Amino acid sequence: MQKTSTYIGLGLFLALTAIPLLLGIGYALLFSLGLTGILSEGFTLEHWRAVLRSAAFWESIVFSAYVALVSIGMAVSLALFVVVRRPHTFEKGPLSFFIYLPLALPAIVMAFFIFQMMSKAGFLSRLAFQLGLTRSLGHFPDWVNGQYGIGIITAHFLMALPFFLILYTQMYRHEGMRALMQQAYTLGATRRQAAWRVAAPALFRRSFATVVLYLLFVMGSYEIPLLLGSQSRQMVSVLTIQKLQRFNLDDIPQAYTISVLYSMAVIVLALSSLPAYKWSGRKLFNRSRTVLKE
Amino acid sequence: MKTGTNKACCILLLALVGFLAGCRGDAGREVTEDVLALSWEQVEASARGTTVNLMMWPGDPLINAYMQGYVRPALKEQCGIELAIAGGQGSIIVQNLMAELQAGKAESELDLMWINGETFYQLRQIDALFGPWTGRLPNAQYIDFDNPFIGIDFQQPVDGYECPWGNVQMAFIYDSLKVPDPPENREELFTFVQNNPGRFTIDNQFTGLAFLKACLIDIAGGAGVLNGPFNEEKYLTYAPQLWAYIRQLKPYLWKEGRTFPEGVAPMHQMFANGELWFTMSYNDNEVDNKVLQGLFPESARAYAWEVGTIQNSHFLGISRNSPNKAGAMVVSNFLASPEAQYKKQDPAVWGDGTVLAVDKLPEEWQDKFRALPSRRYAPTRAEMKEKALMELAPEYMIRLAEDFRKEIIQKN
Repeated sequence: MQKTSTYIGLGLFLALTAIPLLLGIGYALLFSLGLTGILSEGFTLEHWRAVLRSAAFWESIVFSAYVALVSIGMAVSLALFVVVRRPHTFEKGPLSFFIYLPLALPAIVMAFFIFQMMSKAGFLSRLAFQLGLTRSLGHFPDWVNGQYGIGIITAHFLMALPFFLILYTQMYRHEGMRALMQQAYTLGATRRQAAWRVAAPALFRRSFATVVLYLLFVMGSYEIPLLLGSQSRQMVSVLTIQKLQRFNLDDIPQAYTISVLYSMAVIVLALSSLPAYKWSGRKLFNRSRTVLKE
Repeated sequence: MKTGTNKACCILLLALVGFLAGCRGDAGREVTEDVLALSWEQVEASARGTTVNLMMWPGDPLINAYMQGYVRPALKEQCGIELAIAGGQGSIIVQNLMAELQAGKAESELDLMWINGETFYQLRQIDALFGPWTGRLPNAQYIDFDNPFIGIDFQQPVDGYECPWGNVQMAFIYDSLKVPDPPENREELFTFVQNNPGRFTIDNQFTGLAFLKACLIDIAGGAGVLNGPFNEEKYLTYAPQLWAYIRQLKPYLWKEGRTFPEGVAPMHQMFANGELWFTMSYNDNEVDNKVLQGLFPESARAYAWEVGTIQNSHFLGISRNSPNKAGAMVVSNFLASPEAQYKKQDPAVWGDGTVLAVDKLPEEWQDKFRALPSRRYAPTRAEMKEKALMELAPEYMIRLAEDFRKEIIQKN
């Protein structure tokens, strides 16, 4: 009976998640090859050639990866720092409640919040002007719609930080981190060594798959880069939607081509993070033993 | 635990059944392909008691208030029709209808759509529009089809496939306190942006493209030179001069022209907070709306520069597979009625220009239209019309949008 339930569960999971996804990718592939679609004129590789030769596509991939790595890198680093230094900060008291609030904010709300805070006419610009730090509002730096994606990175950082703080606080509590630290102290490790050579690597490696998935989520984000990004450096989702929804219907197959390429890259990255996670678990075990022996 | 797993499976199973049930065909809704064979009385009778699904741009509170607060109750009361309004414009409409046609769906979810020339062109490309039907509307007798700004949409004859709904003209909006002497032509605009860097930009959507079209027409020699079907040779002659001009402006535009606002809404916001000294609108009456709403300062003014600005009409189209074409026709007839058009033209309501030939209307309506309050912050429609340019063929817009990205946005 247990086995039957498992099979039914697995079957439904596949029917509701994996199969629609694969069908969607298959349809996108057919569209990109000119094999379906109202305006299709038969099999062609022209759309693939156009995308692969397009500088805008490659720039969007690099820019998406840059935004994801910087924002999640900062969020993970700061969350690890806080949790390892003060592991009980978010366990009790008002902070343990308030830390959940940013997670409830939709991305578009966060994007508007950053726009109001960081644009040239925003709150920070006005504050800087009032404090005499800038000569006029126009002299405030380009943090929103700028070339370096500072507004996008800040929005993603602010959304990811509470998530990783909660994740690491829970992991610290439930994954025997306290005992591991205690063991390190018993074996002569200093407080700094126990924190940075035992706890932080252990937490990071145990969260590795989650970090990779969050990176992929940020790389594919849409609302935040749409509002806060620059058009000369676009994230991949914005470029795709632009190809899909702008004035030229002949560009639609290119949008499907980009989505197929991006989906393939995401699937490969997501699958490759799993063995890396297992590998990092083994490496962590060996490393912890070495540290404890030292 | 086992019970929990079984419960979860049941819930998932029910969800799947619900999903599949939702995917079934639309059996039971009558497709009225022969609506054109009916008399108008029969059309009205057939429409009574039905629901018409309208997709329209939902981005303006005054327009939404007009539709929800006036049109819906009036249709219910006068025609017995429930009007269901869904948000979506241009590309969303095209994507929806395209997906339905590709899926072989016999009946569309959309009956009526608010469209303009570029969407009209795309919907004709995929053969998604029903028609010709506008000649059947009793109120069509009042529509000013002889006016080329109403009877021709982006250089395409409407041929009865879309019903004119409103007529507007692109206008620049500026703050008269900060810009006492606004630029009237390309040279003056260049001087202005040089003297006031970062205060002017164009959006990356329809209105910005309308500015580019006006510049292209000016470079080509003025009104009418680019009328007619798309001309590749002319485009290749004049477009490089346009990009050279925009590249001249670029270092002095907002954000040094490295990025452009995604639509006029963020431009309006930046104009309101003083970051920009200019914004623009595809509705010459919008400045009055926005001042009345308190969004723009009372020093805001609209104008058309001497180069001219694009005037165009917006329309109502019926989807080819609409299951309620009769209802859609009755709704369109109401929206083109003197009553609905008069209400719509009031600056305090929407301020959208009428598509009716006022002199063809019964006397009482002529008087009412003439007595409408005039605008306070924009030139009169007659003054604006003197500088009106016709929309170019849709291919110009497609090429300008693509080349604007290649020649301006991506070249730093």
